[in-house]
Amino acid sequence: MNLEQLKQLKEKAQKQVALRESGKKYRVVVSMGTSGIAAGARDVMKTMLDEIEKRGLDDVEVRVTGEHGLEDIEPVIQIEEASGDKTTYARLDAEKAKQIVAEHLQKGKKVEKLAVGKQK
Amino acid sequence: MLEELSLHILDIAMNSLAANASKVEISVLESQKRDWLILRVRDNGKGMDIATLRGGTTKRSRKKNIGLGLALLRQTAEMCGGHFHIGSAPGKGASVTASMRLTHIDRPALGDLNATILTLCAANPKVDVRLHYQTDTEKFQFSSQEKTS
Repeated sequence: MNLEQLKQLKEKAQKQVALRESGKKYRVVVSMGTSGIAAGARDVMKTMLDEIEKRGLDDVEVRVTGEHGLEDIEPVIQIEEASGDKTTYARLDAEKAKQIVAEHLQKGKKVEKLAVGKQK
Repeated sequence: MLEELSLHILDIAMNSLAANASKVEISVLESQKRDWLILRVRDNGKGMDIATLRGGTTKRSRKKNIGLGLALLRQTAEMCGGHFHIGSAPGKGASVTASMRLTHIDRPALGDLNATILTLCAANPKVDVRLHYQTDTEKFQFSSQEKTS
């Protein structure tokens, strides 16, 4: 952590905020309660924002929520589609987050092996 | 236990977003001369009454809908020779301050403060997230709204 790194913040924040306009095809909701943060939710979110920006995916918005009540399988994200479909992914890390962006958000293919629960 | 102080900051600031704050001010003061590291998160959210305040900072009286975030930060501050303070009133926002000895052997690293600020900015772009970071010789200010206006 140094001042130079902090200075890069301004430009980066602007780009990422621009990603978050409404009316998108996908909404990613990251569980960012205390247990999620302790399990690594911040890195998952940062990786997803970076990947979404890198791949130029304009139709994705990223939001956060508090605890999902799924503390033992954090970090957890839920992807909601415009059609109403919801997919929950659990026990994530940066690598898995990249995979989800590449497969689900870019190609529209669910990553079944990372998904949990019954899909609605 | 959270590994980095910047994760504590994110955790506390998430409370501010949950309290519908439109402005969240994060201050990090790092003084080698005085051997203090002081973190403060202040918001203009809905605030809370005394009973909620008391319930939120101790593990013993933990109730439903009250998490462990503040208790964990309090524990970290006190373990590192510092203090913890939270002030709030309904409708007046909230302010959480944690101090610790900069050179205390148990003090967690500040960690990736950038990731914390970016996460907060992305979490709710309408909220003005401000950072004030100061050392003995340098100063840095950031506001998430300054370039979107």
